[in-house]
Amino acid sequence: MKYRDYYEILGLSRDATQDGIRRAYRQLARKYHPDVSRQADAEERFKELGEAYTVLKDTEKRAAYDRMGSQWHEGQDFQPPPQWDENFEFNGKEHRSRANADFSDFFEALFGGEHASGQWRQADGSSSRADHAGQTANDLEDAYSGAQCPMPGQDHHAKITIDLEDAYLGAQRVISLETPVLDPQGHVSLRSRTLNVSIPKGTRSGQHLRLSGQGGTGYGHGREGDLYLEIRLRDHPRFRVDGRDVSLDMPVAPWEAALGADVTVPLPNGSVEMTIPPGCVGGRRLRLKGMGIPGNPPGDVYVTLNIVLPPADSDRARATWDRMRQAFDFDPRADFYR
Amino acid sequence: MGQDETGVRFRSARRFLQVIMMSEPSTICLEGHIVEDHTEFTLSGLCRATGASELQLVLWVSEGVFGVQDGAPQTWRFAGALLYRARVAVRLASDLDINPSGIALALDLLDEIDALRARVTHP
Repeated sequence: MKYRDYYEILGLSRDATQDGIRRAYRQLARKYHPDVSRQADAEERFKELGEAYTVLKDTEKRAAYDRMGSQWHEGQDFQPPPQWDENFEFNGKEHRSRANADFSDFFEALFGGEHASGQWRQADGSSSRADHAGQTANDLEDAYSGAQCPMPGQDHHAKITIDLEDAYLGAQRVISLETPVLDPQGHVSLRSRTLNVSIPKGTRSGQHLRLSGQGGTGYGHGREGDLYLEIRLRDHPRFRVDGRDVSLDMPVAPWEAALGADVTVPLPNGSVEMTIPPGCVGGRRLRLKGMGIPGNPPGDVYVTLNIVLPPADSDRARATWDRMRQAFDFDPRADFYR
Repeated sequence: MGQDETGVRFRSARRFLQVIMMSEPSTICLEGHIVEDHTEFTLSGLCRATGASELQLVLWVSEGVFGVQDGAPQTWRFAGALLYRARVAVRLASDLDINPSGIALALDLLDEIDALRARVTHP
C-alpha cells in the first residue's frame, strides 16, 4: 500500500485551517473537474482531490490521519501502525458512502473496512459525484421498502471509447456491467452481466447510445431503465476529428506542391486518390467532400499539405539545391521587413 | 476514471457500473440508437436520463441553458443533443455546488473554449 499525502495533494501545509482546506479543494476541484479540464489525468486528479478532501474536511478523520505523523511521503510504502486509531472519539453512525467506493487502498485501509461498520461518520459526498447510477442502491431500497405503485428502473450511464475506424465502419463491443440489485431480503449485491453491443456506423464523439431496458430494474411492473453509453473517440495518431469532419497532414515534396501530383490519401476506412493542383503552398487545405465520418450529410476530409524538404546530405543534393538557388530569383523575406 | 487495456473507460464502484472490455463475444448483439439523432426528451424523461431533479432543470431552463422552452414545463421538449449538456450541468452542480446562473455561465464558457480549441486545430 502506498501512503497518500492528502496535504500535498491539496497543496497545503499540515497546519492549514479548515477554511483553507475547503478553499484549496474548491479551487483545485474547479481546475481539474473532468468536464472542465482537458488534461489527460484530470479524472484521476479529481478523484484524488475528493479523497483528500473527504479526510481533511472531517476534523475527526483529519486528527486520526495526522496522528500517523508527518514523516511519511506521498507514494511511500506504508502499513498503518497497529491500533493507530485508538483513543479517538468518533460520533455518528456510519453508512459507508458509496461515493467513496473507488478511493485508494490507503483510504480503504484507514477509513473503510471495519471502520465503515461502526466508527466513522458518513461522508457527506460533497466531494464526489451524485451520479445517477451511484444512487441506484439507495433508490432500490426506497422502492423495495415503500413503493407500491409501478416504478420505472433507473437509467444507467457508462462510457465507452471507440476508434475512428469504428466510427467509419461500425463495430461490436462486448462490455461487462456490474449493477446493484436487491435480493428478497432487501440486501444489496452486485450482479454482473455481459452485453454485446453494436456501435452504429457514423457514431461521433460525445454522442450517447441508448440501450432500452438495459438500465435498472423496474418495480411493481414498472418498466426497466435504459442504459446510456457515452461514446468517446480515441485520439488517432494520424487523424484529427471535429464533429463528422476529419483532418490530416499530408507530406508532399516541393515539386509535388509546385507542379501538382496525384497522391494516395489514407483514410480510416481505406484510401483515396487525390490530385494536388499545381502552385500549392505549404499549409494549403484541400477538401475531400463526403469522405469524413458517415452520416446525413457525411463529414468531409481536410488534407493539409505539409511540404517536406529533401535533405542536402550529399554533394549531388547540395549541387541541386545550389542550381535551384541560381535558377530562381527568389527572396523568401521580400515582404518580411516591410 | 480508469481505462482498461482495450480502451473502455469505467468509474469503478463509484457508479456501481463497471465497464470492462471482454475478449469473447456473446451471442445476442444489442442494437441501440444514437440519442442525439433520434431522441427527444420530455422534462421527466430528461430528469430520468440525467439524474437531475425537475426543479434543477426548470431553473436551468429559466437561465437559458437549453435554449428557448415555451409553455408549461410538461409540454417542453428537449433535443437529444442536449443530453450531454444536461449531464455536464448535473456534474458541475453536484461536484462544485454551482448555482443555476453559474451553471449557465460555465456551460457557455465551455462552449466557447470548445469553439476556440476547434479553431486552433481546424483553422
